[in-house]
Amino acid sequence: MGNRQQTSGYKHRFSVLIGLACLLLSNPLFAQTQQTVDVGILATRGEAEAHHRWQPTMDWLSEQIPHTTFVLYPFTLNQMEKAVENQTVDFVITNPGQAVQLGRQFSLSWLATLNRANGNKQSGTTHAIGSAFIVRYDSLYQSIESLSGQPLAAVNEHAFGGYLTMRFEINQLGLNQSQYFSNTQFIGFPLDALLYQLRDKHIEGAIVPVCLLERMDKEGLIEKARFRVIRNMAPPGFSCATSTPLYPNWSFANTGRKDDHLAKPIARALLSLPSSHPASVAANSLGWTSPVSQLSVDKLYQSLDIHPLQKPWWNEAISWLKRNQQWGWMLFILVIVLNGYHFLLEYRFSRSKRELENTLHSLKEKNTMLEHAQRVAIVGELGSSLAHEINQPLAAIRNYSQGGLLRLKKGQPAQDLVPVLEKIELQVVRADKIIQRLRALINKRAIAKSDCDIKSIISDTLSLLDYDFKKKNIQLIQCHEKDKYLLWGDPVGLQQVLLNVLNNAAEACLQGAVQEGHQIHIDTKMDGQNLIIIIRDNGVGLTAHYQTLSKVFFTTKENGLGLGLAICRDVVEDHNGSFLLESSSPQGCQVTVSLPIKCDNGGS
Amino acid sequence: MADLKFEGEIMSEMKVPVYVVDDDESVRDSLAFMLEGHDFTVTAFEDGQHFIEQADLSRPGCVVLDSRMPILRGQEVQHCLNEQQSPLSVIFLTAHGDVPMAVNALKLGALDFFQKPVDGALLAIAIHKAIAQSLITYKQQTFKKSFASLTERETEILQLIVKGKRNQQIADGLCVAVRTVEVHRASLMKKCKAKTVADLVMSYAKVKFKAHTNK
Repeated sequence: MGNRQQTSGYKHRFSVLIGLACLLLSNPLFAQTQQTVDVGILATRGEAEAHHRWQPTMDWLSEQIPHTTFVLYPFTLNQMEKAVENQTVDFVITNPGQAVQLGRQFSLSWLATLNRANGNKQSGTTHAIGSAFIVRYDSLYQSIESLSGQPLAAVNEHAFGGYLTMRFEINQLGLNQSQYFSNTQFIGFPLDALLYQLRDKHIEGAIVPVCLLERMDKEGLIEKARFRVIRNMAPPGFSCATSTPLYPNWSFANTGRKDDHLAKPIARALLSLPSSHPASVAANSLGWTSPVSQLSVDKLYQSLDIHPLQKPWWNEAISWLKRNQQWGWMLFILVIVLNGYHFLLEYRFSRSKRELENTLHSLKEKNTMLEHAQRVAIVGELGSSLAHEINQPLAAIRNYSQGGLLRLKKGQPAQDLVPVLEKIELQVVRADKIIQRLRALINKRAIAKSDCDIKSIISDTLSLLDYDFKKKNIQLIQCHEKDKYLLWGDPVGLQQVLLNVLNNAAEACLQGAVQEGHQIHIDTKMDGQNLIIIIRDNGVGLTAHYQTLSKVFFTTKENGLGLGLAICRDVVEDHNGSFLLESSSPQGCQVTVSLPIKCDNGGS
Repeated sequence: MADLKFEGEIMSEMKVPVYVVDDDESVRDSLAFMLEGHDFTVTAFEDGQHFIEQADLSRPGCVVLDSRMPILRGQEVQHCLNEQQSPLSVIFLTAHGDVPMAVNALKLGALDFFQKPVDGALLAIAIHKAIAQSLITYKQQTFKKSFASLTERETEILQLIVKGKRNQQIADGLCVAVRTVEVHRASLMKKCKAKTVADLVMSYAKVKFKAHTNK
């Protein structure tokens, strides 16, 4: 049926074109007697429906006004706006929303307003536009509020009856519009699709112009009973359900393209259309009446901030500024002052940030100095041990060289002394190594990490302490799981840790009295990815709590700096490891250093 | 301190053993090398225990002790020698000379005290002295033993000889025959390994003196 109508529409247009061609070719005198009037119509339910609804009205007008043919053009909202703007049509029939939108931008003059059938009354009503908020009959949603943020659909965000009137109501209810319509889709003309979508459960609610539901029911397209209108507030006698108040009905307007002399006969013809005439029935109306006020529509647009006459906010602001220059200047000065203040704060902030960074830097330096001081101190503590270590090779060198000299003086061949000279060389190497080790320990330096072997760090450290342990009669017992423990770390720092711990252990041994003799155990083993170094002594044990012991400058020694354990903890933590000091049974204490290892390639 | 009287023995000093006791192998080895250069007969030990066990402590000689060694410390070795009344002379070597230890060591009869690295020449002189001292001590000990082995009568006669009495005077004093005195005298001279009366008197004086100072 729709197809047939459409083809008839095309045929009609085709004949109009032929008519136009004839007009152009024929005598101008004759042209004055037969003219064509183009009428743009908002096709809310598709072109076919528009033709079906409005063609009888066109025919009525053509009939009433001699020598004039009225041609119908179905438009969407955008097409309509363009047509009015470019004056490609002579007259328009549109809904009140667009009527106001267009009327406030272009020179439209209103001829008549459609008189809507109002129940059984013969009087009719000029107010028949609004929104119906429709849900499925079995839907859980009962109120407008409860549908906030739900999947909704409307025809177009500029549609008056189909959307804006509803949005105005939401606004009036004090709900957050953007939140309410956050999940709303606009699916365009025809309107019928909205109810189909709702029926097929793609959406939870549809906002449609009033009477769409009733009309589609009447046309047999849907079953009205399967839907429900939320908050029906239809005035008594109004045959359709509505969720919003009603606004003025569709209007007939002159775009001003043709001379005004046609307006008068058209208005007369429209007003004289009987309510029972097929044209009225097709248009679903009781004929036409004189144009009504569209103030309520204006107000609606204004409250939604989309009234066409509303100036953009910046224009408003500029004109306000022009009127209130003193305030403008004050505002300007205020901005300048605030900006200045902002930059001042920024400057101060960056300055204090720099100072903080400097302080941090110098703190780090101080920390390095403290570490250095502690290393020097520990070297001091090891003084006799180190003197012995260095003296031994020196003594040997002296002995060898003197012995060699004596033999030379006695006339022994120098050749005989070669092995002795080699021994001297060895002793020099030995002394040099000790000095190097010592220098590495007491040199000021930046923390430098490298690949290092914990096992060799332990033996280096022990070589510094060897004599000290002997002197103190301390037995050293080592147990290593592997020959090599490769680690990415700071060898000097780690050596410092070991020196500190072993030195403490030795001193603790001297203070404690045990029958089986002083012993220090050094065990190394792997625990997953961690290297565990355990240093255990059977000395006097802990005299204070670990927390206190590892505090900077806390010391129980007469000449102690109180840095040892604090630095140990710092160094180990710098290697992402952990440092644990605890009492061991039956006496003494145990230090457990755990260091995450890079990779292990040592033999077992 | 070396007595000129014992020059003969000084010549044979080189056969007197010198012991070197040090736990550090290189020091031990080099010290032995150097002292051998000074023509000493050197035996080296790596710790006090080995030294006490293996060296002949009853013979004269000189021991160069490292003061700080693990197993048996220098002073313990010295103590041990004193207990056994060894004639060995002790010289201490240490890396880090500390006064209390030195005083203590010298009190206990150490002859000298050197700080490493030691000057070989000075050490050699000290060893010479020490050996001489050791020989003297050894001699005294020998005299002491000899005197101790004398009979009552021989002791009486010895005391009279020392006082400068002649055989006749002794015989008269003791109411024995001169011949008897002569026999006792020969026996006692033999026991005391004295060739002349002067030797005997000198040895006696030394033993007496020592006994006196020891009181």
